[in-house]
Amino acid sequence: MEIFIQSAAQISIQNPLCEDWFETPIIPTLPYNRSIEPDYKQFILPIASRRMGKLIKRAIATSLSALKQADIQELDAIITGTGLGCVENTEKFLSAMVKEGEEFLQPTFFMQSTHNTISSQVALFLKCNGYNCTYSHRGTSFESALSDAFIQLKLGKIKNALVGGQDEMTPDYFNMLGKIGYWKTEISPEILQTSNSNGSFAGECSAAITLGTEQKEQSLCKLHDVELLYKPSKERMQEVLQDMMTQANISSIDAVMLGISGDQKNDDIYKDFAETFFANKPICWYKNIFGESFTAPGFGVYTAATCLKKGIIPQHLRYNNIQEQELRTILVYNHFQNKDHSLILLSKC
Amino acid sequence: MNDKLVVTGMGIISGLGKGKEATVSALLAEKSAVGTIRYIQTMHNDIPVSEVPFSDSDMKQMLNIPEEQLITRTPLMGIVAAQEAIQQAKLTENKPKRIAFINGTTVGGMEKSEQFYIDFLENDSHSEYIAAHDCGAGTDDIADYFGIFNTTTTISTACSSAINALIIGANLIKAGKVDAAVVGGTECLSKFHLNGFNTLMILDRATCKPFSQNRAGLNLGEGAAYLVLEKADEAKQRGATALCELSGYANFCDAFHQTATSPNGQGPFLAMQGALQNAGLQPKDIDYISAHGTGTGNNDETESIAITRVFGEHTPDFSSTKAFTGHTTSAAGSVESVISILAMENNFVPANLNFAEKIENIDIQPNTKTKKKEMNHIMNNSFGFGGNDSSCIFSKIK
Repeated sequence: MEIFIQSAAQISIQNPLCEDWFETPIIPTLPYNRSIEPDYKQFILPIASRRMGKLIKRAIATSLSALKQADIQELDAIITGTGLGCVENTEKFLSAMVKEGEEFLQPTFFMQSTHNTISSQVALFLKCNGYNCTYSHRGTSFESALSDAFIQLKLGKIKNALVGGQDEMTPDYFNMLGKIGYWKTEISPEILQTSNSNGSFAGECSAAITLGTEQKEQSLCKLHDVELLYKPSKERMQEVLQDMMTQANISSIDAVMLGISGDQKNDDIYKDFAETFFANKPICWYKNIFGESFTAPGFGVYTAATCLKKGIIPQHLRYNNIQEQELRTILVYNHFQNKDHSLILLSKC
Repeated sequence: MNDKLVVTGMGIISGLGKGKEATVSALLAEKSAVGTIRYIQTMHNDIPVSEVPFSDSDMKQMLNIPEEQLITRTPLMGIVAAQEAIQQAKLTENKPKRIAFINGTTVGGMEKSEQFYIDFLENDSHSEYIAAHDCGAGTDDIADYFGIFNTTTTISTACSSAINALIIGANLIKAGKVDAAVVGGTECLSKFHLNGFNTLMILDRATCKPFSQNRAGLNLGEGAAYLVLEKADEAKQRGATALCELSGYANFCDAFHQTATSPNGQGPFLAMQGALQNAGLQPKDIDYISAHGTGTGNNDETESIAITRVFGEHTPDFSSTKAFTGHTTSAAGSVESVISILAMENNFVPANLNFAEKIENIDIQPNTKTKKKEMNHIMNNSFGFGGNDSSCIFSKIK
């Protein structure tokens, strides 16, 4: 059975709900960047919108946009990956409890603090009783969600799925992560490309994609496989890559999409991966325009799928100068602190 | 090729103590672990809870983890429970090629974040705990301790997390992605969620009374439990004993309200019905339901309605064991899966403690005393915030 990425939508530090990033990207210049909010009126009634946090609004807008593009009426599964969940609400409740004590707390922020609030609010909005799940596994939260959808499609348990990567970055959380080395103090395209210091720069991620088993005119690409690997050895990685390609009947990877972010420690792992398995192949990146977040790999899949649909890789997504002869297959590889790794194999329809 | 999935190992830690034996003894003695707060620092020390009767230092000693090693309570409890499951399944002795670790949690490292939050924001005195805050951090700590896993991920669907971990593990095996999976959840008590549930006014000031007309809310508990899943044939080849079969499961969403279940229990209805269909069983085949039964007004009424809708005249014995363990939230799905499998192994229906009288306008009532009974198929329910409702069925090996 073949599986297709039918549609995708994003809200990020690039212009929202469009593909402006493909030709005219915004070049980030600061360590901390919030997403550009679209006009939510086309998706959510203002009265409902006022009661929702930013992340829920973004999740609903990206989900509705992706579902509309794919023309999905009956949705079988809503699966979200989120590294931090509804952290803004969590902080509001936590901060009140720590600073003002336990006496006068209100339930609202607690109720909406659980990670699964995102998936369940989308389900509530769509009145969807289908499969509903939330993954919160550090830097591979999105791929965990994608893997779940992929496996259930393969097993014939569902016919379509909405998969989201949703994370917000609050000022306090940005500062906290800064204390443990997540961010650079200064960024520019050159600094990111050189990656001779630790840390990257923060973005926020709302990426929604739909999957299905029937090829449609608007289908972006085929999804051949998703693998989640914990501390794989090189031999294991080699074996998995070989298996993936054999299963997909693909003899060669035309380009590799990596999570390089300018963070030397993490980038070294990507470079080693590329040199070991894909020497002399085009290497692409996306965090240089979308920033780092726990679900940023959602943008990796989104950008790779968009490139396959359009048949070209724009210059600003190229990390090296090697050109592909033809763009048919892209491998998306991500790792989090060299512990959790993911491999996603895509090809053009 | 036999595609049947079996459970080959189980481990548990809860207020009832460490391990399966302590758990069975407490269940048979009808001894609740709900009592006075010992470890959590809170002004609400009049709220009864069920705490794991070991300090972090106690557990570090049990596990040979150096006292100074940075690890929070949630993964510590997880390691204790996972170790018991891994040993029973002989996973390290005769290792399957690819093992997944699928962990459910929501609180994550919150019990440290809430202690050091001001420090996180204002100074550097406890910044080492910042990286331990998110849900996945504890999962990786557990995986690192054992060093046998090839895939790990973390599910966070609030109170149904652990049962969803079981579903994901089962699907990973069925799809051929892994050969075995250690699945379940772990959750320690935190001041954060104790206060959260308190603001919702759903915490009983006495021991909870699931399915009783006079119920007044839930008791929070903490705990961890894991099950080892693999294909029956492969378990046999490895020399592992199949304890029971995982015969069916389903996950649906109530899609009604963030914290309340729909009046007709649609999500729970779909989950139970889906699990039966997945198992190819009829309502009359189920011998026991380990109900979600939190003791809140809303859950117990809607769960009863959903059970009646699914089972009708075939409604089997059912009980909630939450008056024993408290509501172990993200771990509840696996804690109660282990409890109900132990009940099936030992031929008894666990008691639903503190039941006084049946809920008005509801025709069914739980099993109130420990009852000897041979069982072939048992169902376990877990329902969470956001309408994340899941059920699974375990069956005796024929």
